[in-house]
Amino acid sequence: MSDVSATMDFRRRDASDKLQGRTRYTVDRYLPGMLHAAVLRADVASGRILKLDTSRAARMPGVRAIVSTADAPGMIGIGIADHPLFARDVIRYNGEPLAAVAADTLAQAQAALAAIEVEIAPTTPLLTMADALAPEAPLIHPDWESYEVLLPGAARGSNVAWEATVVRGDVDAAFTRPDVVVVDSSFRVGRQNHVAFEQRAVVAAYEDGRFHIETSTQVPWTIRNATARLLGVSPAQVRVTVPPVGGGFGLKFDLAIEPFAALLARKSRRPVRLVNSREEEMLTCLFRENAEIRIRSAVTRDGDIVGREAVVLMDCGAYGGEQIFLTTMTAHTLGGNYKLGSARLVSRAVYTNTAPNGAFRACNGVYNTFALERHTDEIAARLGMDPLAFRRRNVLGDGDLGATGQTFEGDVLGPMLDRMAEMRPSTPARQIGSDGRLHGRATTVGTWFVFVGPSAATVNMNADGTATLVTSGVEIGSGSMMQGLPQIVAATLGLDPANVIVRAADTDAAGYDVGVGGGRTTVSLGAASLSAAQEVRAKLLKVASEMIEAAPEDLVLRDGRIEIAGAPGSGRTIVEVATRAQATFGPVSGTGAFTGGTVPSMPGCAAGHFIEAIEIPVFAVHDCEVAVDPDTGHVEVLSYRVVQDVGRALNPRAIRGQIQGGVTQGLGYALHEEVTIGSDGRVCQTGFETYRVPLALDVVPVEICLHEGAPSKGPLGTKGAGEVPILNVGATIACAVANATATRVQELPLTPPRVLGLMLGRTPELAFPHISDRWSDNLVRPHGASES
Amino acid sequence: MGLSLSINGDRATPSADPITPLVDVLREELHLTGVKPVCREGFCGACMVLVDGTPTLSCLTPLALVENCEIRTAEGLSTNGVLTPVQAALETADAVQCGMCFPGMVVSLTHVLATTPSATRDDIRAALTGNICRCTGYERIVEAALTVVRK
Repeated sequence: MSDVSATMDFRRRDASDKLQGRTRYTVDRYLPGMLHAAVLRADVASGRILKLDTSRAARMPGVRAIVSTADAPGMIGIGIADHPLFARDVIRYNGEPLAAVAADTLAQAQAALAAIEVEIAPTTPLLTMADALAPEAPLIHPDWESYEVLLPGAARGSNVAWEATVVRGDVDAAFTRPDVVVVDSSFRVGRQNHVAFEQRAVVAAYEDGRFHIETSTQVPWTIRNATARLLGVSPAQVRVTVPPVGGGFGLKFDLAIEPFAALLARKSRRPVRLVNSREEEMLTCLFRENAEIRIRSAVTRDGDIVGREAVVLMDCGAYGGEQIFLTTMTAHTLGGNYKLGSARLVSRAVYTNTAPNGAFRACNGVYNTFALERHTDEIAARLGMDPLAFRRRNVLGDGDLGATGQTFEGDVLGPMLDRMAEMRPSTPARQIGSDGRLHGRATTVGTWFVFVGPSAATVNMNADGTATLVTSGVEIGSGSMMQGLPQIVAATLGLDPANVIVRAADTDAAGYDVGVGGGRTTVSLGAASLSAAQEVRAKLLKVASEMIEAAPEDLVLRDGRIEIAGAPGSGRTIVEVATRAQATFGPVSGTGAFTGGTVPSMPGCAAGHFIEAIEIPVFAVHDCEVAVDPDTGHVEVLSYRVVQDVGRALNPRAIRGQIQGGVTQGLGYALHEEVTIGSDGRVCQTGFETYRVPLALDVVPVEICLHEGAPSKGPLGTKGAGEVPILNVGATIACAVANATATRVQELPLTPPRVLGLMLGRTPELAFPHISDRWSDNLVRPHGASES
Repeated sequence: MGLSLSINGDRATPSADPITPLVDVLREELHLTGVKPVCREGFCGACMVLVDGTPTLSCLTPLALVENCEIRTAEGLSTNGVLTPVQAALETADAVQCGMCFPGMVVSLTHVLATTPSATRDDIRAALTGNICRCTGYERIVEAALTVVRK
């Protein structure tokens, strides 16, 4: 069995170069003869392209290649292929690509963009989900029925790109019971920008009839396959390699600008570099989507939730993208945390004429947890119950059913709430501070999960006593590739983790992988790596057994040696064994693979879902104290505490670093990171001046407890730990501010004007005319009905 | 022949136009890519360099303004790969994540610890307000700097 205790808190090997400015990210790559590229983008939100003439631009100085829609015949998407690389005839969002240019210098490329002749006949854009769902709204994708369906079965129609539904039990009966109160809550959140410090960037070359794409991504295999699909070439013609990535947070979980550079490289026969400007990053962000949520619950006077129904509208922007997939998550986030007698939930990804949204750390979960926890507090208030007592009574425990009817294993949230009770000061939920500020406190719970899915790994045992781990994993900053993975391999082989070499992602070298995100690196790549290392271990033990003349089961691998258990210093060094093995049988290596998807849901409960039941749940309990200035509405966070379910902490220090960072990103989302869209459909925040992220003076040290021991199918009992820290920050701050101000917080972020509006009673209650009171009227077609 | 300046102890005479932002000269001409052009508007601090010992945003500084100045980038703080006390403290604290902000962070911290040897927690936090980090939540960076003060 693997012993990782010797490798705890292993330091990351990339820190020294990063601290000295020596690390070469994609933005720092420079190839001989490299050209510079720029992308022409539409400046209207909606329109028809009347003319796109690149002939004059092509004659501009330094211009080597121009590409446009004829060069990229394919369409991509998740669930449905609705997205071309360049706008074709129709503009669907302000910022949509029209053409790309490569030239000797960036200035020449930009000058050429200005010389491309474009005529667009603008049409009236649908900028909000209310616009898009209005009865007579025009279709943003009039040809939606002709799109290739990549995952069949979901309801779609009008401007609804995708609809996922959950129905379990008799909800109507629950709501009409005589002994229940019905609590009805509405919430709205805006978009959040990841602000990864390294912009999306790519250097592409066309070599020996294949594309080599070097890019800042979390998903090398998605880049490989999606680029090939857009360009109409075989995926085998695309090789993707990934240098160190300067921040991802989900932004780089999808294809971005890679195909532009690939096309230009093929056309110009020169390497091409394309780097988004910060303004382009802000305008075409693949944001965490804005969402509108209505949730109703039927609760007995004793505090049992007998029925729950919800409508969640998720703005996917002009193309479906990640939001189509993310509709699947509402079942597990808004439908999570609590035991429900019955439930029906619908998540709808809605097309609008805005920049496409994407994945962002704890996608969907962040706002659904905000909605669920504020709703939970509203229920407790209606019942006159202590909100903590209500949570204790209702949180999911061993044997309880989730929204889709899966059975949860183990009591996790209950003990975590107990732990938080020990950490938390006993201040009341609301009090006036000595400085006149309104103090509030709140505790929330959250449910998240690990995205399992396929991963592959190879471990090569070198005769010099080192091992090389080859995967398609990417180091995005979280440290999983620098710490968790070498720790797992090292523990299995009895090596110092510093002696495990980690190969950077290269789709030509390692097998398929879903990507680095969704808390899956240590789990999925870790499981594949563990299995590969175990194969190596078995081979080494076989050879060692002959050398030492002891049975393999009596041997241990420890400190670079293979020894007889209980007899330190006996046996041989791993160098000796690996050398003998190599001379006798050839070099030692092992391969490993992992996927998931074995937990069943209740048949018929979920429709249109990519994930019907969660394989590895991850729970979180957060608590905070805030002080609200009654004159300005400014919210100061006084303290913040986290109890996080980590399964087993391989590197507690690294996890604590993820929690501090994730909570801080959540504080930005909760308090001041705000994206707005102008009447021209353009994102108003173009840089750091208008998009305010947390600064050093804004944050507090997070008090952290890592909760170990919850069941997990992850290798060595691990769970993903980097994604979940942001999950209930918005919720916790919102509940604390609601408590402090005794107001009904329904929106994030809680900027001073918004908080002041609440306190002065000038904020009208949220109302969503485009969400029907009758749950079933919100559906494209009834749950469970087949496609007509 | 262009302007003359000193970069990390070496003389350099970049050929760029005098109005070129220093960040571009350092990166494109001198290949000092540790200087990061993250926002190019002076908000993030990732392109911070020391100009005659003062932290300076290289994205907002035209080349002509640093003629005959002594410039030090994150690449030029350590000697022969031996980390400075600030860099070593950050490494020891496991403070680094994606790393894009750290060259600028290190420059700002080097300055505050040199000018305020008994810097407090609040001094350090205040000194970092011009250096944004999206990964770490700052706490470890501040703690690491304090360990240098305490030594």
